[in-house]
Parts: sequence; structure tokens; C-alpha cells
Amino acid sequence: MKSDNINLPDKNGFFGEYGGKFVPETLMYALEELETTYEKLKNNNEFKKQFYKDLSEFVGRPSPLYFAERLTKHYGTGSIWLKREDLNHTGAHKINNTIGQILLAKYMGKKRIIAETGAGQHGVATATVAARLGLECHIYMGSEDVQRQSLNVYRIKLLGAQVHSVDSGSATLKDALNEALRDWVTNVDDTYYIIGSVTGPHPYPMIVRDFNSVVGEELISQSKELFNSMPDAIVACVGGGSNAMGAFYPFIKFNETRLIGVEAGGEGVETGEHAAPLNDGKPGVLHGALSYLMQDDSGQVKGTKSVSAGLDYPGVGPEHSWLKDSGRAEYVAVSDDAALKAFHDVSELEGIIPALETAHAFAYLDILMKEFDKNSNIIVNVSGRGDKDINTVANIDGIKI
Amino acid sequence: MNRLTNTLENLKNKSEKALVAYLVAGDPDIETTLELMMMLVDSGVDIIEIGVPFTDPIAEGPIIQKAHDRALKNNVTLKSIFEMAQKYRENDNKTPLVLMGYLNTFIFNKTLIEDNKNNVIDSVLVVDIPGELNLRDYGVYNPNINTISLISPTTKKDRIKSIAKNSSGFVYYVTLRGVTGASNLDVNEISNNVEEIKKHASVPTLAGFGIKSPEDAKLLSQHSDGVIIGSSIVQMIEEGSQSKEFDRIRTYITDIKKAIS
Repeated sequence: MKSDNINLPDKNGFFGEYGGKFVPETLMYALEELETTYEKLKNNNEFKKQFYKDLSEFVGRPSPLYFAERLTKHYGTGSIWLKREDLNHTGAHKINNTIGQILLAKYMGKKRIIAETGAGQHGVATATVAARLGLECHIYMGSEDVQRQSLNVYRIKLLGAQVHSVDSGSATLKDALNEALRDWVTNVDDTYYIIGSVTGPHPYPMIVRDFNSVVGEELISQSKELFNSMPDAIVACVGGGSNAMGAFYPFIKFNETRLIGVEAGGEGVETGEHAAPLNDGKPGVLHGALSYLMQDDSGQVKGTKSVSAGLDYPGVGPEHSWLKDSGRAEYVAVSDDAALKAFHDVSELEGIIPALETAHAFAYLDILMKEFDKNSNIIVNVSGRGDKDINTVANIDGIKI
Repeated sequence: MNRLTNTLENLKNKSEKALVAYLVAGDPDIETTLELMMMLVDSGVDIIEIGVPFTDPIAEGPIIQKAHDRALKNNVTLKSIFEMAQKYRENDNKTPLVLMGYLNTFIFNKTLIEDNKNNVIDSVLVVDIPGELNLRDYGVYNPNINTISLISPTTKKDRIKSIAKNSSGFVYYVTLRGVTGASNLDVNEISNNVEEIKKHASVPTLAGFGIKSPEDAKLLSQHSDGVIIGSSIVQMIEEGSQSKEFDRIRTYITDIKKAIS
């Protein structure tokens, strides 16, 4: 939870021109309350101790940095290292953030927890920490995602949370977020909203980044230990962008490390059918923040297309927009087809079935590895495991399970 | 003088309460919206609030959300709403027209607000910005369009002061914790908060969100300078959109008007 690397966001929640607090007035006080609590607790030793204790004993951190020998051979250029967030309890990086935010909820005395989820990983991670503290928990999920991520829906229910299927709009992650915000507006006095990505109004992008930064902090020491230098590049998939932000943030000051975010190219960025706002969007306001956004020529938010439910979102965290404009990070996109191919390749080459979201990061290695020589070290952030996606992939491959 | 400021001053001079009606532009279609606006004014409405449809209307309950979706299916844009307002002004150059919508639409179409051709629109209400700020803070400005700020039951006292001072036209007091059309009014809280607002605001304070029956309207008008009715009207529009029979709305508005007089 180091937040002294760079001084952003500013006191109004802006990263350069991006971010801010664009919410109905009813939520302003709740955001202020959260901000005050977080500012008070983030440097509190007891709070930090509890956070790292939970990450160690309940999540199983630190996650390994693993040398991908066959993948490295496959490309024949630099060494490829995998940050194994897929090995965390509940199977993805999402738990880092929920462990932190549930502690905030506890300190604030909130009795009711709500969250949105796309692929279901954040829903599972939220239901898990709520169950651990015995708090009432409601998860909002687009009805299309309820279909394609049925395994995670059942996991959330097993953990004692209620799943609310959202039919409005495009029935995906953005609509789940809308519904969660409406719940929060209504139940603001006793409810804590655990946002699952570095999106939403200030202070969420900062808080979610800070809790996920444990990934980047571990990478700094693991890189020194395993290859005795800073990595030449870190590659991570970007939907809202929390796994990428957590890995990138502690490295922003190390200019020798390239930071590469991979967005969902869907049918191809050139077709317009994708979920890649940093590649093909314009700044706009959605869900409380100003950031790159997919929108049509009258300012309406455009529907997205991606094989991966977790990346199927028309916006992106405001800090990524700032990193893009400042040139410190690079943002590319890969298509559904490329991601699906990588999903199979990595499974067979490394014995690791990655989440479809993560498969996007792997797919970009096809291009990236040509830019490096044998002495370089490339880290892929394996944001989650792919068990949740086997039905989707089997369907695409025409296989009935 | 701005039609909104003018209308509110006239009402004040006559010691009357303002009745504001909300509908979504293009629901069920632009032509019908125009007819409905005329009918609302004819039934006693003082100010019309035109909902600007948005894909992600986070402050709206299910009734108004669905209306936004229907309007978007008709390809309603801010541009077509300005054209509609232009047409409306051919028959009524007196009733104030307020645009109520979400920030992205207004910053994306900033020149439409800045031009406001023939001065047809009088005010803009942006739902998703903090009360102290208005469109001007986001680079969209027209001196002839005033900007209404919202204050809610959760707004702290120190902020009530700065928001009330910043609002022009009127202060919109959100009467409940929740989305439009919900039903958990707390009259005591409303009365206390409106009193606090009135200490600082130089413009009238109107109450909206969750007002359904003439009784609700009467009660709230006793604690404010007027009331805003939205979801009930939008629901009746939905129910009448097949038959194009909207007489119920006329009766409903007449009853509300009577109740607050």
C-alpha cells in the first residue's frame, strides 16, 4: 500500500485531466466518508498489519514469479516470467482488493456489502470476504454474464451471497455497475460498495490500485532475487484495469521497465466490435469518472464485444488514461481469436489454464517477443485461472461437456 | 429575462407553488412528446423538465430507465431535442424548458448548449455532478442558460451552503435516498433540510423524487416552493403509448395542481 511513488490522484481525485467524482449528489457524502476513512487508515500500522496478515494467511501471498520455460523456448528470445495471481485463493487477483476493502467496511461499521461483477471473479472475491465476516452481501451481474459465467454464479451463491441478474441496457458489466450504484444511492447509510476495478468515482481508483499494488511490490523484490534486475516489460490485460494497475503502479518510477496493457480487441479494433476504449475511444464520463470511453457520435456509451466477460466494458480506469496520454504505458489490443489461441497454447505449453482475460496478455507475446533479445526478462501478469471459462471455450470449439 | 427566473418570480409574487413535470424526450416518439408538453402546460404545469436519454442513467429507477431505453431506440439525440424545443416554441414562448440529463451528453454536445439557437432552452440540470459544480466547470457555458443544482438528504450542512449559493433558477431538493420513483419520503427530514437550504439560497427550492399522489404533492408543497413530478407521468405515458390516450395524465396533473394551490 505504498502511495508515495507519485502524487496522483490530486485532492479532487484527478490523474491529470482524468478521474474525478461524477455522481449523484446523494453519494457525495458516502465518497467523502470513504476517503476520510481510507486516508486515516492507509498509514495506520495496525490496519496494514491486518491487511498483510490476511493476504498471507487467507489468500496465500506472496504469489510466485515463475519461469515459463517452454513458453520462453517457444519464442526463443527473452525469458518469460509469470506472476501467478491465478494461484491466489478464489483464483484471481481480485481478492487483493476485496481483502482491503472489507477491512475498510468493517472499520466504518457497515452491515451490508454490495458489488458488481463481470466474469464473476470479483463477485466471488467479494462474497468470500463478506462470508468471512458474516456480512450480508449482494452481487449485481449482467444477465448475459450470468449465462456465460454460470460456474461463478453458483460459487457466489454457495458463499451465501445473493446474485441479482441485471437485464437493463446491454446486460453486461456496465449495467451491473449501474444497478449497484442505484442500490448504493438507496441504501447509502448502511451499505459499503466494493468496486472491483480501478474505475468509478474518486477515491475508488486510488483505493483499488493501492490494494492491488501488492502485486507490483512483490515483483520488484522477486525480480531482483530471480534475475537481478528490473524487468524489461510487464504485460497485463486491461478491462477496467485493476490487475494491470496493481502490477504497473510500483514500476511507474522505473523507466527501464516497459508497461504494456492489452485490451480486448473483440472482432478486431478496426471493426468497431471490441472493448478497447484506450485504442479506439474518446474521453467521456461513465460511472463517476472521466476517462477514455467507447461512445457513438452523439455521446451515448457504445455496446462492447469481447469473448471475455471480465474485459467486456466500454470504459477504463482513469489512471490508465493518464498513463496512456503521458506515454509511460503502452496500450494495445488483441482479438478474440488471438486470445482463444493463446488460451490453448499456454494450457498446453505451461500446464496453466489462464482466464480468457489473461489469455489476451499472453496473446500479445506473439508480437512483443520479437522486440526483445535473449538477455531480456518479460513478466506476464497471470491475473486469473481459466476454470470459469471452460464452458465458453468448449462451446466455441463445438464441444459439449 | 430568463423564462425560468421569470416564471418562478411571478409565482412567488402570487404566493403560488410551482408545478414541474418531467418526461423523456422521444418517449414514445418526438411528435407525441411535443403533444404531451402542450397538454401538460394546458393542465396547469408551470415548468417542463425534458429528460435527455442516456445509455447509463444511474440516478433513475426502472420506470424512467425504460423510458430512456425507448427514446434511444428512436435515435433521440441532444440535437433532435433542440429541434423539438424549437418546434415547441412556435406555440409557447413562455413556459420554461429545463434539460435534465447526464454529464457525458452535455460535454460531448457542448456547442449545442453554447449556441442554444433562438434561445429555446432556459436551464440545464446535470444529475451526475457534485452540487458545487456546474456545467461551466466542465467547459460548457451559456450565460442565458441557468444551471440547477441538486441537494440531497445526505448533503452535509457546510456543503448545503455552498451548493445553495451556486444554484441558479432553483435548487432541486432530492426528497429521498434513492433513485427516481422510489417511495420512502421522510417529511420531517425534508422540512428541516429545505429550511436550511432556504437560509442560503437566493432562488426558490423545489422538491422532487418519489412524489406520486396529490397528497404527497400537497404535503411537500407546504415545505417548499414547488414540486417536481416525474416517474408517475412517465409511467402513464408508457401505459398510454399504444392507444395514444393520455387523458389520465390531464386528470392527474389537474388534481396535483389543485392539491398544491
